[in-house]
Amino acid sequence: MHDEIRAFVVNAVRDMNYDVSEVTGDTDLGPAGLDLESLALAELAVLVEDEFGVTFGTDDMESTALMTLDQFVAEVVRQVDGAAAHAASAAGGPAESPAADPA
Amino acid sequence: MSGVTITGVGLVTPLGRKPDDFFEGLLAGRTGVAAPPPGHAAHGWLAAAGLAPAIDPMEVLPPKEVRGVDRFVLMALAAADDALADAGLVVGRDADPYRTAVAVSTGGAGLESFEQQSHRRLERGRAGVSPYLLPGMLANMGSARIAIKHGIRGYSSAIATACAAGAQGIVEAIRLISAGDADVVVCGGSESPLHPTIASAFSNARALAEGWADPAEASRPFDARRNGFVLGEGSAVLVLERTEHADARGAAGYADLIGWGATTDAHHPTAPRADGEGAAACMRGALTRAGLTPRDIGYVNAHGTGTKLGDAAETRALHTVFGAADGPAVSSVKGATGHLLGASGAVEAVATALSVARGVLPPTVNLDTPGPGCELDHVHGAPRQAAVQAALSNSFAFGGHNISLLFAPTSAATARFATATTVN
Repeated sequence: MHDEIRAFVVNAVRDMNYDVSEVTGDTDLGPAGLDLESLALAELAVLVEDEFGVTFGTDDMESTALMTLDQFVAEVVRQVDGAAAHAASAAGGPAESPAADPA
Repeated sequence: MSGVTITGVGLVTPLGRKPDDFFEGLLAGRTGVAAPPPGHAAHGWLAAAGLAPAIDPMEVLPPKEVRGVDRFVLMALAAADDALADAGLVVGRDADPYRTAVAVSTGGAGLESFEQQSHRRLERGRAGVSPYLLPGMLANMGSARIAIKHGIRGYSSAIATACAAGAQGIVEAIRLISAGDADVVVCGGSESPLHPTIASAFSNARALAEGWADPAEASRPFDARRNGFVLGEGSAVLVLERTEHADARGAAGYADLIGWGATTDAHHPTAPRADGEGAAACMRGALTRAGLTPRDIGYVNAHGTGTKLGDAAETRALHTVFGAADGPAVSSVKGATGHLLGASGAVEAVATALSVARGVLPPTVNLDTPGPGCELDHVHGAPRQAAVQAALSNSFAFGGHNISLLFAPTSAATARFATATTVN
């Protein structure tokens, strides 16, 4: 799961025309590394939310800017695992769909 | 009042991007109207459209800033880049950033981007919607992105008065310079309406030309066989400059803007007043402001969209102001470009300025036989040489917004074209 998420994140950042040729797990997402600006961080969060069914709050996004690539990927893995555990404990009920339109 | 001189123009139009190509195309009677090709969003939805050149996002924005940027913004940026280069003006080097303003308008802004994101939301919920949507599509983003790119720090605005928006951006610029609130204003309009929902809305409103086997014949202002307008896309940006400011840096002028008129029909959301009274009052207002009489006007670049009602109402307005006989020469560029909505007033301001500067008037494409109620001194079939001392350009919009811009040969020390300074 870690490798899949990491590849997804790197691809998403490349699609936003950031240079990922020298990115390692220790590269910062923020100004010290990739230098993703605020909208790019927001876009990345939305893409990850859509792909992996996790949810980031506003506070999470502020701390994301201070993370390295691997720290961010680990956070997504933690949320995915948590969601899976939650789904297992709610076995028998309908599957939760975090991406559903509230309307 | 400070003189206001046009020192730069930039275009993205169905007749190309270079001002010379655009104007030579107009004079030659060429048309930029064609059927949207396979692969185009409007293919199968519009039989005819004024198709402008593609703008590579990487040409106008740094790679990290291109995401989600609507075509109307890209075209506005391309036109603004070209206009400032044409004026030889670098903000901060040649003009005080805080005395430089931007007023690039649009009618519908980034509706296509909004529609795409709406589809993603319906399919995928909240997570389908990009945070880049708003900075990519809002109506102010033409002006805002131009300001960011060129370091323009004075007054900025975007006026969304539909088909009068581009002309009204220019009115805003004249007012700012006349009032002493700016030395330089980057102004104009941009519009990207060639997608299925907007096409369907205009079509269902019975506003579009229909039934033309050859799309090149569909846009025919004032012609007896006209049956609606043709949607077009594009942008035009002008650099307007206080004449003394232009002279001080040795910049040549195309033409001067010496007046403007603005009225509102207060009548109907889409239909013009049949008597053309709002349009007539608008043109009179421009003349009064400049201290001119109707006899001073040698050319009117008409709004002339090719709708039955609109062209007849504009003719009545012209008769009201100039009399039914002996009025000025009239032509509409929309036969060649289609109707560029919020960009049209700015594109036509460039056409009018070039007509005055070069002393030659472009013909109305596809105007074979003037229709009943369209009796004017039409320029059609061929261009007409004319040393025009004053010219009007009209823009009338859904909502009843009327704008008339008044042009004269430039008063700047240097003129772009010798013609303008050698006429009596």
